[in-house]
Amino acid sequence: MTVKVMILEDNPVARSFLCRVVRESFTDANHITEAGDLQSARKHIALTGGAQGLHGTDPFKLILVDLELPDGNGMELLAELRRYPATKIVTTLYSDDEHLFPALQCGADGYLLKEDRFEVLVEELQKIVRGQPPLSPAIARRLLAHFRHGPGSGDWQAPDSGFVTTSGFTTSRPVPMEMAPETERLTPRETEVLTFLSKGFTIKEIASLMGIKWFTVNDHIKSIYKKLNVSSRAEAAVLASKQGLV
Amino acid sequence: MSARPVAGLPERQGPDSAFEPGTLERERSALQPPRLTARQRPALALLALLTFVGLLVLVRQLAATPWIDAQWRADAGGAVVLQSSPLPALAALDGLSLASVSNAQGDTVIPDALVLHGLPRWQVSDALRQSQVGQQQSLAALLGQGQVQLNWRDGSAVTLQPTARGVAGLGVPFFVVAALALTLAALGVSALLARPQLRNLLYLLMCLGQAAQLLFVATGTLPGLGAWPRSGAGAGAVLGPLALDALTAAAAVHALVLHPRRQAHAGWWGAGVWLLALVWWCLAWLAPPPGVWWWAQAVALAAAATCWWLARHSYRSEPNPFALVVQHLAGLVGCGLLVVTALVALASMRPETAGPAAALGAWAWTLLPGALLLLAPFASRSRQVLRDGALLAGAAAIAAAIHLVFMASTSLGFTNSLLLAAALGVLVFALARRWARATTMGRHALDAEFTFEQLYRAARDVQMQPGRYSQLLGRLLQDMFEPCEVLEARRELRQARVVGGGAALEVPLRGSSRRAPGQTSPMLVLRYARGGQRLFTDDDARLADRLVEQLRRAVAYDRAVERGRSEERQRIAQDLHDDIGARLLTLMYQAQTPAMEEYIRLTLKDLKTLTRGLAAGDHRLSHAAAEWKADLTQRLAAAQVQPVWDFTHDRDVPLTMVQWSALTRVLRELVSNVLQHAQASSVSIQISLEGPILLLHVADDGRGRAPETWAHGLGLGGVRKRIKLIGGEVAWRENEPHGIVCEIRVTDFGGLG
Repeated sequence: MTVKVMILEDNPVARSFLCRVVRESFTDANHITEAGDLQSARKHIALTGGAQGLHGTDPFKLILVDLELPDGNGMELLAELRRYPATKIVTTLYSDDEHLFPALQCGADGYLLKEDRFEVLVEELQKIVRGQPPLSPAIARRLLAHFRHGPGSGDWQAPDSGFVTTSGFTTSRPVPMEMAPETERLTPRETEVLTFLSKGFTIKEIASLMGIKWFTVNDHIKSIYKKLNVSSRAEAAVLASKQGLV
Repeated sequence: MSARPVAGLPERQGPDSAFEPGTLERERSALQPPRLTARQRPALALLALLTFVGLLVLVRQLAATPWIDAQWRADAGGAVVLQSSPLPALAALDGLSLASVSNAQGDTVIPDALVLHGLPRWQVSDALRQSQVGQQQSLAALLGQGQVQLNWRDGSAVTLQPTARGVAGLGVPFFVVAALALTLAALGVSALLARPQLRNLLYLLMCLGQAAQLLFVATGTLPGLGAWPRSGAGAGAVLGPLALDALTAAAAVHALVLHPRRQAHAGWWGAGVWLLALVWWCLAWLAPPPGVWWWAQAVALAAAATCWWLARHSYRSEPNPFALVVQHLAGLVGCGLLVVTALVALASMRPETAGPAAALGAWAWTLLPGALLLLAPFASRSRQVLRDGALLAGAAAIAAAIHLVFMASTSLGFTNSLLLAAALGVLVFALARRWARATTMGRHALDAEFTFEQLYRAARDVQMQPGRYSQLLGRLLQDMFEPCEVLEARRELRQARVVGGGAALEVPLRGSSRRAPGQTSPMLVLRYARGGQRLFTDDDARLADRLVEQLRRAVAYDRAVERGRSEERQRIAQDLHDDIGARLLTLMYQAQTPAMEEYIRLTLKDLKTLTRGLAAGDHRLSHAAAEWKADLTQRLAAAQVQPVWDFTHDRDVPLTMVQWSALTRVLRELVSNVLQHAQASSVSIQISLEGPILLLHVADDGRGRAPETWAHGLGLGGVRKRIKLIGGEVAWRENEPHGIVCEIRVTDFGGLG
């Protein structure tokens, strides 16, 4: 059975590097499609049945999306592929939460940093596919803020000089009256995990601190990712319905 | 709408700090120019028309009275002498003394100087007053019966037919005074229409009283013989002004019991005052005591003194600029009345000064309060108006007094002494104005220099700490106006405005342009300028507007500059990152050896640290420490070195860009160094912030020895440079039992945070 992989990356050297990473990570990844820009990527997607998921033909199982593309931002493709049944991973040079968090909100299942070494990339890739995505402290902080203030808060800026007195990170914006159902709230354990992550603890340390097994922590992180996807989708739906697009 | 004191500003304890700006709106004082709605203006027009019609009736009646068109004067002996006359029969008879006036039926009236001065109310002596009233009545009766004969002292006689006075015979001053009276009445009426309250009713009564007084005086000083025409109205010539005096006095005292601060048992006081006035008037009418004139003056002076005392009492109980203003006004009126009384009393001892003295006294008596009543609503408009008006009235009174004194004591003629008195009055006015301006300014002269200095200091402070905009603006307003109390409220207000007739000033803050819809903007309410001594005027409101505007501009400019700088930094950072970063990445992929690959990787990481430091604003110590921990422990774990991490801090300071990037790169470099050379099995990293001192320890148990002999390469040299940049010291020493410890110490870390 062919496992189809697509790598979207404009830098040819980086592209071949990522191909090597993918081949090293998975023994059965034997069909790698390379795309250099958004346009060709979309064409490839269309060939496999389109973004909406009518997949009569063989869809991609794994898609690596570069964020910095010449004809747009990789997040556009991510947003289009929300329902696509593949593991979507962003690759980027930026490691700060300002760039990564929106990508995660658009439905990415994990991220890889291009600066990492080969072995590190392989390990991270395998972990993501297994369902153990990484979470940097900065992203953990953003997630905490995101879930604390409900799906309506969305993007925020921390104002540092303004006449409106602010408390903490968020400005008080009106929250949508229809609050999303409880699945978008974090459980207390998940919040605890996120808090430890935001302080810089590793997964092993968190497991020992919380007295749980190592893969339980990963399960928590996976569920957090899923909730982020759902809540982001819900937020997108709310916004769309507000603008009368739905 | 509730108000609460502004935090951070020194609070002066007012008696009612639960101060509601709304109450100011409801309790608008009478000291305010009345503003009428569109519905009320027709009512005012109607009432004005009625008054005007009444005036026309009076004028017609006066014009219809019979008189003899001639100018008379009194000579030293008290006889009536003809001065001039346009009538042909009297043309050549200037200087003749009048002996008597008789008619065909033989009724004779022997007039003396008293009859020339048609103001019996101002006759000091009872006997003379009665004689004057009697003479005037009989003269009027005589003239009303047809032809009269003027018998001169030297025996000759002239027969004349008295003609109707005609409107022209009233003279221009009469109409001027009538217009003044009409204005006064209209002002009182509109004040009542604008806000139907007891206070304004009392104000209307005072205005009407003074207007009627003015008309009395005007009719009393009409030229020619036969002033007050109606027989039987002689007593009315005395009782009318007395009644008006009593009315005005009672209304004034009652008004002051109610305003500016309602005294205890105000109802009883008001009723009592009115009762007293009624009793006095009935007494004067039915059983006049001897020396009625003295009694009348005493009553009026007592009323003025009561007003002054009431205002002072109100001010003492609560500093209130209205009370102060009223106190000054009452004092002024009282002194003026006292002076007039004294001078008229003095002048009445000599017959040739008695008449003019009485006339002047009457004018002063009515004009002074009338002018102050006219001025009172506009007092809060501008500081100038009240002050100058009061000074003008005072100077005029002093001029009149000097004029009387001159006439009484020297041999200057009427005109000469009048001119001299006027000149002196003008001089007094100018001097008093300068003195008043100097003393009523308060502790600081509100001149341009002071204003500029305060504004500049405030603008500088706001630029340094934009978050404290409201507090700094509040402090600036406090320094400028010295209010009794400063409160914060929330209301939509576009401009500063004076409320409560000058009691408070509302200033919108207008600080932030970003405001959630539905949330009203904050504003400050200042109450009672200059510690309760001064009213706010429209000038103050405009000044407050300009202050707010200037401060806002300073802040907006600063923000725009900062935004421009930050955008530029972000552009540079993005360029660097995307362009150079991508190239380094490519280089890294094509590295020939692992060592070179690692070197390029570290260079790339340093570039990202730099650009991130440029672009981002806020790095808190705890967040940075979390990232360091994640990054370094991952690197050490990947190299199979046991990481030990220890981070303590007593407060979470924000790091500047320099500090953040320096510490990140220093840590990265130190750990790289250990990984490259030390072959350690465990590395311990300790970071602690206590007070202003930051300590950083990186200790390994590898094979490094004798750090003092090391030749520092590019890496360690960079560490030393960066630590020096953030004002710290770095030192390497040997660790026990083996290994190296790098100790970094930064004093005054977060000192600017």
